[in-house]
Amino acid sequence: MPTLAADPLHDRFAAIAGARNVISAPSDLRTYECDGLLGYRIRPRIVVLPATTEEVAACVRLAREHGLPIVPRGAGTGLSGGALPVEGGIVIGTARMNRILDVDVVNARMRVQPGVINLDISKHLAPLGYYYAPDPSSQSVCTIGGNVAENSGGAHCLKYGFTVNHAVGARIVLSDGSVVDIGAHDGEADAPGYDLMGVFVGSEGLLGIVTEVVVRILRRPQATRTIFGTFPSTDEAGAAVSAIISSGILPAAIEMCDQLAIEAIVAATGVDWPLDAGAALLMDVDGVSVEVEYTAEAAIALMQSAGALEIRAPRDDAERMLMWKGRKAAFAAMGRISPNYYVQDGVIPRKDIAAVLREIAQLGRAAGLRIANVFHAGDGNLHPLVLYDARIDGQEEAAERVGGEILRVCLRYGGSVTGEHGVGRDKACYLGEQFSDDDLATMKLVRSAFDPAGIFNPDKVFPTPHLCGDRPGVYVPHAIERSGEAGRG
Amino acid sequence: MNAALSVAGVTPRAVLVPADRTELASIVRDLYAAEKAFAFVGGGTELDLGNAPRALDTVVRTTALDRAIEYSPEDQTITVEAGMRVAALDALLAQHDQLLPLDVPDRQNATVGGAIATNAFGARRHRYGSIKDLIVGIEIVRPDGVTARAGGKVVKNVAGFDLTKLMVGSLGTLAGIISATFRVFPKPAHTQALLVHAAPHSTLFAALMNDVSLEPMAVVHYPTLGGVVLTFAGLEASVAGQIAHAGDLAARHAVGCEALAGPALERCMAFESAVRSGGEWRWTSRTSAARARTAAAPAVALALEVGYPTLGVTMASADDTAPMDGLIASRGRSIVFRAMPPRARGRVDAWGEPPPSFALMRALKANFDPKGLCNPGRFVGGL
Repeated sequence: MPTLAADPLHDRFAAIAGARNVISAPSDLRTYECDGLLGYRIRPRIVVLPATTEEVAACVRLAREHGLPIVPRGAGTGLSGGALPVEGGIVIGTARMNRILDVDVVNARMRVQPGVINLDISKHLAPLGYYYAPDPSSQSVCTIGGNVAENSGGAHCLKYGFTVNHAVGARIVLSDGSVVDIGAHDGEADAPGYDLMGVFVGSEGLLGIVTEVVVRILRRPQATRTIFGTFPSTDEAGAAVSAIISSGILPAAIEMCDQLAIEAIVAATGVDWPLDAGAALLMDVDGVSVEVEYTAEAAIALMQSAGALEIRAPRDDAERMLMWKGRKAAFAAMGRISPNYYVQDGVIPRKDIAAVLREIAQLGRAAGLRIANVFHAGDGNLHPLVLYDARIDGQEEAAERVGGEILRVCLRYGGSVTGEHGVGRDKACYLGEQFSDDDLATMKLVRSAFDPAGIFNPDKVFPTPHLCGDRPGVYVPHAIERSGEAGRG
Repeated sequence: MNAALSVAGVTPRAVLVPADRTELASIVRDLYAAEKAFAFVGGGTELDLGNAPRALDTVVRTTALDRAIEYSPEDQTITVEAGMRVAALDALLAQHDQLLPLDVPDRQNATVGGAIATNAFGARRHRYGSIKDLIVGIEIVRPDGVTARAGGKVVKNVAGFDLTKLMVGSLGTLAGIISATFRVFPKPAHTQALLVHAAPHSTLFAALMNDVSLEPMAVVHYPTLGGVVLTFAGLEASVAGQIAHAGDLAARHAVGCEALAGPALERCMAFESAVRSGGEWRWTSRTSAARARTAAAPAVALALEVGYPTLGVTMASADDTAPMDGLIASRGRSIVFRAMPPRARGRVDAWGEPPPSFALMRALKANFDPKGLCNPGRFVGGL
């Protein structure tokens, strides 16, 4: 194509990563204009897809030589605009670096390249009886490199923790093009010195580009029991979650759907959940058989005394998979009941779920908008979905406003503006409501130690006057979500 | 008592005990402005840890900052000031049958902030992880006296950079800790331990570790007891079932085992506590390769905690470092000396070789503490 040679830098990057792996034609760049937050779009100057650590390092040096900002990108499934390109800058995508490097069962560690799909780690480990615990709803398409950048969570993080508890070491490329290993390697339990890995995980591409990840792997539990329960309203379901958490039993996952979410999930997946229930809880309990039985029975008893209408167990593994598929495809399922929707991600103390859901419903009523809720209830990680119709004047703006008000409710209850989707571009302005200027300045001390010139992912995470004049992003489902291949949240 | 206080062998000119966070911040700000080197000290139970600071004018003790800020038993989170003794935290949590599952040596005296700064851990790390996995928020005072927060009081949170992780194990070289929020856990209904007379990495040991019907809370090798102690915690029926199953496995391998209760369990605990606080030399080794090397050291006591760093100790009072020379020479960066006799100070680096990412650590230190006044030289590579 004649346009390929138009950018003089194209050939320089091609010399590093191969011509096929450098994209500079405007039509081809369209794919990379945004991540999972489709409301923001910026066309980068060039996208490079290197295959090795050395190639990543050479790309970083070349970009730096030309003063170009760099946006790292995994699978581009993020929901906060963290992989949104910078105008005139380059995107370094790690999707081609998708090899599993080694498995060390003795030390329960595995080394993978960043482009390995989250779910493929567990598939690879299945014959050994091991798996990788963090399971974001997008796990069939998102990559471990992106998970490290975002500190991804997932339904089963309630018991097992987040990416930061499982990604113990990494090889990273710094802004000067140097390559360094951080965290624990070679079966080490801990790394000496400051916990660089601990702060790197969740740094949203602002500190470096990860080119290898060492993860902890876990033995598959002896038994897993799935419980599904329905309730008259989110009040009773919320009370059940609070009762379960405060009783001290620890299910692997407790997910909640409200009536609107149930309606959308049923329409999209065909699970036979009752449409007249006000709310449902989907729960996994796992571990040693005896313990699982007791925990499941205790959870059921607490659900019943909180006012459950019906308790069900999946008839077989196929139904269990369907229930979880329904949950993981919930965001995209909203398309069945609304032309558009705005996804929110906030966290509150788990004892306050029922009260906060009431406040959120009130915000929706006041704005004349419906709000569906489908979320990680056991962690207090809310995902309100504000439904609207973009064709109706003012609804989109109203949905965004409600989304912002929801975050303020979370903060008022002592929570956080993001539990797993990240700050990215979308919530940079809200970060200033959660943290003081001194807090943010202290975090920036870390940024400047890793990347003094600020070339990695500028204009993300930290609020700036330039950013905070912008309007927040609007969520549009990706094609693979609409097809039900992968979900979110 | 302050007269006796010294930090890795260095005695400060003064010891200040701020009454609250405001005074703490103002003391730190003044010291920084006056360019006086200082160190944060909590209970003073780990003062041997690390290399001698290059300079030390003032010790700032956090022990008066000992309030509980917010305890939400139903949410299983607690926020306390850094100077609270770990035992006092235990007592608070016990009122609601909860606990912070962290094995901190000398809980009566050790403070919460000190446990964070030294990354204290022990056998229960097997189930619950280390402080990094339990802490959800922190408030710090930077060397320049500015206070800052990171994380929060909810158990899930990805807003902003996670400075909590950076503070864990940083030995007060980046900032002082004012308060911290932890995720806490219900106290297990029942706990029982089983001593299996098997060596780590034996066939039986591998079988025990790979059996999905066993989920021990802790796995510790006690060479002096001649075996591995598996501790199970949870429901009585579950614990009893797992003990019986592990016993069957051992019998099938023709290996003896005994349930530990009462005096036998206490002997174990006493032994572990001796390993944690006694001895002239005390070390941790991070890798299994390093563990093999420690076997050659003249240890009279060694507790090997499987899957995470081994703790070792020697009570031998040799006149010089000679018996330890082999271990010192071959350790790379995988063996840390947590305590050493005064005669070895200055000759033996506590931390071993700095890691490959040391330049980043130095850059962090320079950003947080540009004047190099905060516990300078005590940590890895002279940080």
